[in-house]
Amino acid sequence: MFNNVTIMNIVYTIINLLILYFLFRKFLFGRVDKILNKRMEEVDEATKAAELAANEAKETQRQYEQKILLADEEKEQILADIKKQGYDEYERIVSDAKKKGEQILVEAKHNAEVENAKAKEIYAAELTDMVIDAASKIAAGRHSADDDKELYDKFISEAGAKDE
Amino acid sequence: MNISELIHEILLEDKTMIKLPFGDGMFDIKASVVHTWIIMAVVFVLILILTSNMKVHNISRRQAAVESFVLFVRGVVKGILGEKADRYTDYICTVLIFLGIANLSGLFGIEPPTMDLNVTVALSLMSIILVEAAGIVEKGVGGWLKSFAAPIAVVLPMNILELFIRPLSLCMRLFGNVLGATVIMELIKGIFAPVLPVPFSLYFDIFDGMIQAYVFVFLTSLYIGEAVE
Repeated sequence: MFNNVTIMNIVYTIINLLILYFLFRKFLFGRVDKILNKRMEEVDEATKAAELAANEAKETQRQYEQKILLADEEKEQILADIKKQGYDEYERIVSDAKKKGEQILVEAKHNAEVENAKAKEIYAAELTDMVIDAASKIAAGRHSADDDKELYDKFISEAGAKDE
Repeated sequence: MNISELIHEILLEDKTMIKLPFGDGMFDIKASVVHTWIIMAVVFVLILILTSNMKVHNISRRQAAVESFVLFVRGVVKGILGEKADRYTDYICTVLIFLGIANLSGLFGIEPPTMDLNVTVALSLMSIILVEAAGIVEKGVGGWLKSFAAPIAVVLPMNILELFIRPLSLCMRLFGNVLGATVIMELIKGIFAPVLPVPFSLYFDIFDGMIQAYVFVFLTSLYIGEAVE
């Protein structure tokens, strides 16, 4: 049983074991580990990329929400502006109309006064003509007190007829 | 063939296979070493075939099998070693796979190398060296020396004895089990060759071989785990 045991054979076996260990490490564990590590790295990278994408998406969403909020505010601002503009325009138009109306009134009054004055002038001119006419009639004919009286009456009746 | 002849053939016969012309027989190579070489060659070729063209994606069934096998063996060994002695996993795995194949080599008509004391002595020597080296690496020489007197000084002689008992028991257990299994199988084959050996072969050649490989590795890992505690 022990006659077979020699130091050199033990040494051979130890060398064999070390070689076998080397082969296993290099070709079995090494290769498998390489693949497993690569896969792990890929998974890590994918996870990281996914996280990044999620964060980006969140950020974008936040930005959009902010934008929408701003848009709401802007909308209200614009509405308010437009309302104000509308009011201003309204006021302006109303005040313009008022002014114009007043002006028309003033003009009309003025026109009426002018017309009036003209009519008076015409009337006065006719009266003058009549007086001159009467005066020339008197001057032309012989006249007596009766004639004068008759003339007066005629004049008065003519003027009265004209006045009516 | 009677029993004494059988025992003589298995135990006492000179197992020298290759005689070298120098050193007066000192460097002669035993059959077990040659058988180990055969096993190594086969294992090497198998590994090369199995691990060739490995990919990260779209892996073949072969690659999936190799990966899960490696992860399984590692998981088993790591479980026994503990986290501190993680770095010795690959060596222990190597021994486990080698012992498993060596103990099964009887099925393929090769006398198991583990039936030779040279091999089991070498294995247990490596184991005890690894155990003590792990202790020294973890604790330093001073801490390693102190650990012999732990937990109390009285156990010092016991701990020193253990330095020899552990590898001895490792090597003898493995050797004895494989030898015993082979002897029993030879006897059973002698009694009734055609059918009877089948269930026994399942136990002695396959189950017992695996169990012994596991026990050897389990105890070595346990010692290493203990040494780095």
